This record gives sequence, structure tokens and C-alpha cells, in this order.
Amino acid sequence: MLTSLIPYAKAISLRILAGIPVFILVTFGATALSSLAPGSAALLILGENATAEQVAELNRAYGYDLPVWERYLKWLGGLLQGDLGQTLFSQQPVFEVVLERAAVTFEIALLAMLLSLIGIPLAMYTASHAGKILDRFLRSVSSVLLSVPTFVIVVLLSYLFAIVLRWLPATGWASFSKDPIANLWYVTLPVICLSLHQTAYLYRVARNEFVATLQEDFVQVARAKGLPLSYILMRHVLRPSMPQILTVMGLSLTYMLAGSFVVESYFAVPGIGWTVLTAVKSHDIPLVQAILSLTVVVFVIVFMLVDIGYAIIDPRVAVS
Amino acid sequence: MTDAGTPITSKIPDKAELSDIVRTSMPWTSRLRLPGGTISEMFAAAFLILLVLIALFVNFIPGLVSPRLPYGDFSQLPELSLNGLFGTDDIGRSILSRVLYGARASLMIVFIATCISVSVGLLLGMLAGYFRGILERMVDLYANTMSALPSILVVLAFVTATGTSVMTIILILGILDVGTYARVAKAGVISQSNRDYVLAARAMGATDARILLKEILPNLVPALTAVMPTLMAGLIITEGSLSFLGYGIPAPAPSWGGMIASSTDLLSRFPILIFGPILAIVLTVYALNTVGDYLAQRLNNRERGQ
Repeated sequence: MLTSLIPYAKAISLRILAGIPVFILVTFGATALSSLAPGSAALLILGENATAEQVAELNRAYGYDLPVWERYLKWLGGLLQGDLGQTLFSQQPVFEVVLERAAVTFEIALLAMLLSLIGIPLAMYTASHAGKILDRFLRSVSSVLLSVPTFVIVVLLSYLFAIVLRWLPATGWASFSKDPIANLWYVTLPVICLSLHQTAYLYRVARNEFVATLQEDFVQVARAKGLPLSYILMRHVLRPSMPQILTVMGLSLTYMLAGSFVVESYFAVPGIGWTVLTAVKSHDIPLVQAILSLTVVVFVIVFMLVDIGYAIIDPRVAVS
Repeated sequence: MTDAGTPITSKIPDKAELSDIVRTSMPWTSRLRLPGGTISEMFAAAFLILLVLIALFVNFIPGLVSPRLPYGDFSQLPELSLNGLFGTDDIGRSILSRVLYGARASLMIVFIATCISVSVGLLLGMLAGYFRGILERMVDLYANTMSALPSILVVLAFVTATGTSVMTIILILGILDVGTYARVAKAGVISQSNRDYVLAARAMGATDARILLKEILPNLVPALTAVMPTLMAGLIITEGSLSFLGYGIPAPAPSWGGMIASSTDLLSRFPILIFGPILAIVLTVYALNTVGDYLAQRLNNRERGQ
């Protein structure tokens, strides 16, 4: 029993090991960001009219006058104690702010991800009816959708659903814990906007994978045996196509978790992307640094899950 | 992927590989084959040429008013005249003029950024592929890191520290794709290094620099050209999103993203006024993607033929 888990442990530890240098590079880069500020970071944050005392106080609190590596070690030390400092203006602990916002983004990203799974059955159907009208139609639709930037989708859909049809609210927010119904109501439009791209993307990848798999010999054999098409699709075609699909899902999920900047800012959803945008405005470097680190961690975790998914789908992965 | 003999290994694909995964056979227009490509490919190429011409010569278009000065009434609906074709914006400027000048801004930013990332990426990638070792690891680390972070997040993080200006936007966009270009160049160098012509050059006593620049470099051009349009489309979207969010091209200058953002306020009364900039950015991205797919397809066919 336990020995069968060893390959998984191996895969996970490999992924973590590979993630460490990336994490260090990103967090160090984030620390070094404040050195890029024209003049000094303190002046950028406080504005040109800051007094020398204000600058000195900010430097004492955030260490912007220290050399980069010293600041980085300080930040790493803080990280180990779960203390990432205070946000610049509201003076809340960065760690709490980020976790709170991440929960909101996580909800939206997860819902969008689930919604985009529609792409898979669509891809199954069109791949097995390749060249038919629906296949050609969906291919054109998906390639156009992939050329429409999210900010255009957001504007057009909110115009359609909030202004013309008046079905859904354009902006607003209610937290899930306080009012789940209102939360779902507010979350619908952002989720649809976010998932359109992912659906088109997932659809194309899945369709191409399915078309390739359908030409394999074992599928021909199954067909020759007279098995029903739906059985072949579920039993023989889905599994070998899964790795590619999982990779795309993992990548979309990380990108959505890292903050769907346009969607969150347009619909005023208080998530990670929205937080980054307010942080940019106020030059809140500690907050941005924390979010960059979180993004890398999420990326490593998601791809760890993708790896485990691979191993479950295809045991040869775990062996190799 | 489905070949039973090869083990499936998990690997994070970078942008170039992803566009490869997504690539599909051509849409319905593929039946209408013309010499050189399908209808949509010819259309895409023609559109891009037109766009570049507009970006270069927009100030010579006769009768086109300045994109910064009021031209007609506030939020005037489209009419059949050069400047009024897409209507006017909320302070009466010609939207067509702003769209065309916006093309110049977008293309210039993306072009310079691409020059930066291609030259840096090519240099690093070639050295990494030729000498391997620590340099190769560093290039891989950089490319992996960049594919772990969404472009907009990277740009916004820099903007937090530096503030917005066209110069910083160009530089930041320039570093985004360095890793991808470096990876493509590196793979090319590795696959070319053992070819006979390289061995022959080395046997004749050519220096490393000569082999890299005169022998290998010309053979990297097709692979780099094939990933370029898709990556440029990504940059157009990133720049557009930045301008939409208010951190891109600073305000009075015309930009597609900024125009879309400012017309959202008027959306309920004058939805037609948002049409111009949306058409411009969607067509541009679609054309770049189509040309990118075409080039990558040709490259694949060529390599398969070898």
C-alpha cells in the first residue's frame, strides 16, 4: 500500500524542488523592484513633498534604504513566521489581506473553470463528427473568441446582460459567507466573462487531441467490434487525451487565480487582481510582493496536482 | 502523445509550445485555396500590411483630423465621412482618427518590445544552446519563471515601482518574451550543432563566433519567425489591457485599450461608438494569430519533410 505511493511522493518532491529556484527568483525580483523606483522608493510612495522625517520613518519601517539582499533576507525571515509586513496605507497585515482576497478570486476562478468544462463534451461530439457543420462552426467561433481580448469580452457582455437585457448586475459584491444568493448573483457575469476564453481554449485543445486519438488503431478495433460511439469516446478516447487537457486546465487555473485583472476591476470584484490594481495606484510594494509570491506558490501547487493527475491517468508516468 | 511506446512526462509548456498545442486545422475557408494560403490567411496578411502602412504614414492621410483635437459634436453617431466614419468620442474627437493613430502607438510599442526580446533572447539562447552548462540552466529558469507568471501581473508589478510611461511599458513588454525566444533559439542551436555543416566548419578551423553567427544563425530564422506573430498578438493584448486598466499609454494620446475604457461610460447611450477600437484590436490579434498559425504549420511541414 505505502510503496505504491512512493512514485507520487517522488513526483511531488521533484515539482517542489523545481519550484524553489523559481520562487527565489520571483521573490528576490519583487524585493529588488523598489530599487527601480525613480529617485527612491520612499519618495515615490510619499510623493515629492515628503519631509526628511517621513522618509526616514518609512525607510525604518520597510527598510527601503537597506541593500537589496538584506531586505530580501528580512522578508524571507518574515515569511517563515507568517509575517509579510503591513500594507502601506491601510496598515493591515499583508498576509491576512492577501488570503481574504485570494478566497474571492479562488471562488470565481473555480466556477469559471467548471463552466469551461463544457468544452470537453462539445469537443468529443465535434471530433467524432469532424468536418461537419457544427465542427466547422465551433472551430471558427473558438478561433475568433481566442482573438478577442478579455477587456473587450467584459465590455460587450456587460452591455448585453446588464444594459440591454437587464438580467444581471453590472457591478457590486456580496461576500459568500454573508449572503450566498446575492454572491452568486453578482458572480455570474464575471464568471461567464472569465470562462469564455478558457472554454474556447480547452475546446480547441481537446478537439485536436480527440481527433488524433480517434485515428489510433485501438479505436479502429473498438469500432470494428461494433462498440457504440459514446462508449468508445468515454472508455477509449478520453483517457489518452487527458494529459494535454489537464495541462491546459492547470495553466488556465493558475492564470485565473493570479488575478483576472480586467474582469475584477471592471466588475469591482474584491479579489487578487483588484487588489493588485489598487496596490499599483498607491505603490504598495509589500502587497505586490506578497501576491507575486503567492502566484508562484499556486503555480507550483497546481502543477503538482496536474502531475498527480497524470500519474493517476497513466500509471506508466509514475513508473518512469 | 498517444503513442503507447513513449512515456508521457509532465512538463510545463511555454507560450510557443502552447500555440502549437492549440493549433488546429484551418477553418472552413481552407477549402478555398489560393496560391500562397487560404482566403483567411491572405486576408490576414493583407490586413497586417495595411496596418503597418497606416502606422507609418497615418499623418499623411489627406483630410484626417488630429486625434487630440475636437472635431465634431460630443458623442456624435457614425456618418458617411472620413473623420466621422466611427463617430466622435465624448469630447468630440474623431474616433477613426484616434483608432488609426492608436494603431501607430500599439504597433510601435509592440515592434520595439519585440526587437528587444528577440535580440536579447536570441543572444542568450544561442550562447546557452552552444555552450550549455550553467547558462542553459539560467535561461531555462528564466523561461520557466516567466511562464509561471501572467504577463499583466509582471507588468503591473514593475509599474508599481516605476510609474507609467511609454518608455517603461516598452522595456517591460520587452523582457516578457525574452525567455520564450531564448528557448526557441536554444532548441534550434542544439538541433543544428551536430549537423554535418557545423562539423565541416569546425574542421576547417572556424571559430565559435563564426560558427554561431555565420553557420547556425541563418538556420534559426524560420523557427523564430514562426513564433513571432503569436507572441506579438499576446503583446498587443497585454498593452491593450494595460491601457484599458489605465496603466498603459498615458491619457491624451490615443490607444485602443484606453478608447474602449473611456467609451464604457457612454455604453448605455451610444453603444455604437465602441465599435471602432474593438474592431481594430480584434482584427489585429486575429490577423497576427492566423499568420502565426500559417508560419508554424509551414515550419512543421518543412521539418517533417526533412
